[in-house]
Amino acid sequence: MERVETTLPKLLLEKARLYGGRVAMREKYKGIWQEISWNTYRDKVEAFSLGLVALGMTKGDQVSILGENCPEWIFTDLAIQGVGGVAVGIYPTNSADQVRYILDHSESRFVVVKDQEQADKVLAAKESLSRLAKIIVIDMKGLRHYEEPLIVSYREVEAAGREAARQDPERFSRLVAATRPEDVAFIVYTSGTTGHPKGAMISHRNIIHQIVNGLQPILRFTDRDTLLSYLPLCHILERNLSMAMPLVFGYTVNFAESIDTVQQNIQEIGPTFFAAVPRILEKLHSSVQIRMGDSTWFKHWMYRAWQPVGRRVSQFEMSGAPVPWGWRLLYALGYLFIFRAIRDKIGMLNCRCLMSGGAPIAPEILSFFRILGVRTIEMYGITETAGTVSGPRGQIKHGSVGEPCRALEIKLAEDGEILLRGDSIFVGYYRDPAATHDVLPDGWFHTGDIGQLDADGHLYIVDRKKDIIITSGGKNISPSEIENKLKCSTYVKEAIVIGDRRNFITALIQIDYDNVGNWAQKNKIPFTTYRSLAENPAVYDLIKEEVHAANEGLAQVETVKKFKILEKELDQDDEELTATQKVKRKIIEERFQKEIEAMYAGR
Amino acid sequence: MAVMNQEASLQLEIADLSMSFGGIQAIRGVSFGVKKGEIYSIIGPNGAGKTTIFNCISGIYRAKTGSIRFESRELIGLKPDRIAQLGISRAFQNIALFKGMTVLDNLMSARVHLMKYGLIGAAVYLGRCLREEVQNRDEVEDVIEFLDLQPVRKSPVGSLSYGLQKRVELARALAMKPKLMLVDEPVSGMNLEEREDMARYIIDINEERDITVILIEHDMGLVMDLSDRVTVLNFGTKIAEGVPGEVSRNPGVVQAYLGEAG
Repeated sequence: MERVETTLPKLLLEKARLYGGRVAMREKYKGIWQEISWNTYRDKVEAFSLGLVALGMTKGDQVSILGENCPEWIFTDLAIQGVGGVAVGIYPTNSADQVRYILDHSESRFVVVKDQEQADKVLAAKESLSRLAKIIVIDMKGLRHYEEPLIVSYREVEAAGREAARQDPERFSRLVAATRPEDVAFIVYTSGTTGHPKGAMISHRNIIHQIVNGLQPILRFTDRDTLLSYLPLCHILERNLSMAMPLVFGYTVNFAESIDTVQQNIQEIGPTFFAAVPRILEKLHSSVQIRMGDSTWFKHWMYRAWQPVGRRVSQFEMSGAPVPWGWRLLYALGYLFIFRAIRDKIGMLNCRCLMSGGAPIAPEILSFFRILGVRTIEMYGITETAGTVSGPRGQIKHGSVGEPCRALEIKLAEDGEILLRGDSIFVGYYRDPAATHDVLPDGWFHTGDIGQLDADGHLYIVDRKKDIIITSGGKNISPSEIENKLKCSTYVKEAIVIGDRRNFITALIQIDYDNVGNWAQKNKIPFTTYRSLAENPAVYDLIKEEVHAANEGLAQVETVKKFKILEKELDQDDEELTATQKVKRKIIEERFQKEIEAMYAGR
Repeated sequence: MAVMNQEASLQLEIADLSMSFGGIQAIRGVSFGVKKGEIYSIIGPNGAGKTTIFNCISGIYRAKTGSIRFESRELIGLKPDRIAQLGISRAFQNIALFKGMTVLDNLMSARVHLMKYGLIGAAVYLGRCLREEVQNRDEVEDVIEFLDLQPVRKSPVGSLSYGLQKRVELARALAMKPKLMLVDEPVSGMNLEEREDMARYIIDINEERDITVILIEHDMGLVMDLSDRVTVLNFGTKIAEGVPGEVSRNPGVVQAYLGEAG
């Protein structure tokens, strides 16, 4: 394996020379997809980069980016790296206080914000941010009348940079030439299900090594691929897909108009590769289930009738064996009748590979997409490895996250914890040597996840080490497995399994407001708010049946004996969910202490 | 809030306006002036005559006495479509949209008064007609982006939530490319989040597009935060006018809203 000796900004210059006028990105503007070429991409990065220098930025400075996905986000990211600085992504959904924490902790000198909403968050905290020199705003709408010396528009900075480039056309190339592979390229603040977020420093070598040697053998990208960018860019997964990987492979990235238009935009673009977190796939799955329920009996019957064929063929494909001719023919008919239509509806007609990552997913959801004929893989990755740890290269096994990637050495500790070593292991946590030492005590990175390897070398993730439930009977149980079974139900949005040091398993359940609401309307059950729905006894009975169904596939000790429907929806603003919509178990267990005790008191 | 231009002249001048329905005097002798670029609110208890004033300005009612001058031009006696052409648009309290049509089509049809091509031109869809249609769509897309309506661009209005329909209603008024916008109870029946969004949109319309806004609203928090000046009506008579702070301290206003102090 050759050692990586390049940097992301260097790759940008190389790709711009190679591809020139070819399309690098598309962004929907005024309802029409506008194209951005590799040349424009390069020029935009150059202009903003030199603009930052004109504002006083120097090598090694941290600059934060706060806002929804857009081409400017990427331009900014690379412009910062081009100067030799460190880019810090902040979730646009973070509260003003969380934004203040990250700006302060990362010692950011500049922050680039998307719009007024984000600018207001920074302005609210400006008193305590003495290092902050400028707030650069991409969309000035609503800010024209702010009399605030900190604020400067993105365009102004760009214009200053363009002027500097005109005077010294080689300046940017010289800056880029000075970047080194071992430099930190960006910091990713992990949303963290516990405590304050930690800033993982990722170097150029980390990320490029991970893409070339880790991801590529699994995903096999070419420059003809098309992607939709919609997950938050400050997350390592989308950062890879929208920023770093196109620089290596040269494929086209399309920016979704907003998170609400994702489904529509998928249909318009027809991406060849689609990466999603479980929640999005669960939503797509349940939207099809519901539409099926509302459609004619004939369509419904067709869907049911062709499913076994899809399932059988997907089993052949997953094992890597050739599909027998008879099955192929039968499947072609099924494709014509039903699968093609569904794939078209959910925008997966051109999709050659669907990837799930970010959190564990229920196998039933994966097989739904496999039946439709989409190669669906589950991958395992963490921020601290710059992305990937494992993924299936050929054979796909149900429930497995594939083989450990070649970019990393892997071993399992005695308690089953996954340990990793290699060039894509991150540099460390920014300004937190103690936390760095905790995860990198001996040269091996301790993931905190418990895993198993089977005879073929496929990796299975059991659970987070700290989440494993040990019942009072001494049995080790993985809560996420049970939770995913529960979440398979279209009526269950979120489930939190309780049972550590208790004698049986219980669950807190958040119902899916839309789907249960629909069900209630059909059954003429009146309700006004989420709460009135959650408290309705008929809804309790509905969920009870769903819990029974989930219990069927579980061992006796793992079955959920009692459950409680939460009277409020979990919310990121109440700190119950992370920015990536993962539940914060500890906080929820504390907050719903009363409800939990009530379930155990009854016996 | 808009930065006030010192020498701003009155864009809309209402003088001694009276209107009655049979024996009921809906408004009597109301006068006020709205400067270019401000957000001006009209408040008052139910039946104070607020909406009647809007109906008089937009030409739905014809006032009996008094005058309404918009950019020194008398509006009384003009037809509603003529008034719209002069640059006054209105967002209705009871949503006035075609429920079966998409958001996009609703906004496109709001601009009908700006189109000049004829039937023949439309039939061949060339030249002037094509140019105008393209420009219309361009400006409608601006409005869609301005009010964040991209996700529902192609959805029928009837299928949208009430809060969203209200926003489309605002968009329709905005798509008419007005100089002055009459906004009637934009946040009635909305939840807190929708209210905050709507407040932000109204400020943006006022600031970014330099559109004068006259607002009728019952939500006092919204009125006090947004308005440059406020007029208070009670039983068809103006009882106070001034900046929000002054008006809310005015004893007459407190009495009209809360009843006699005991």
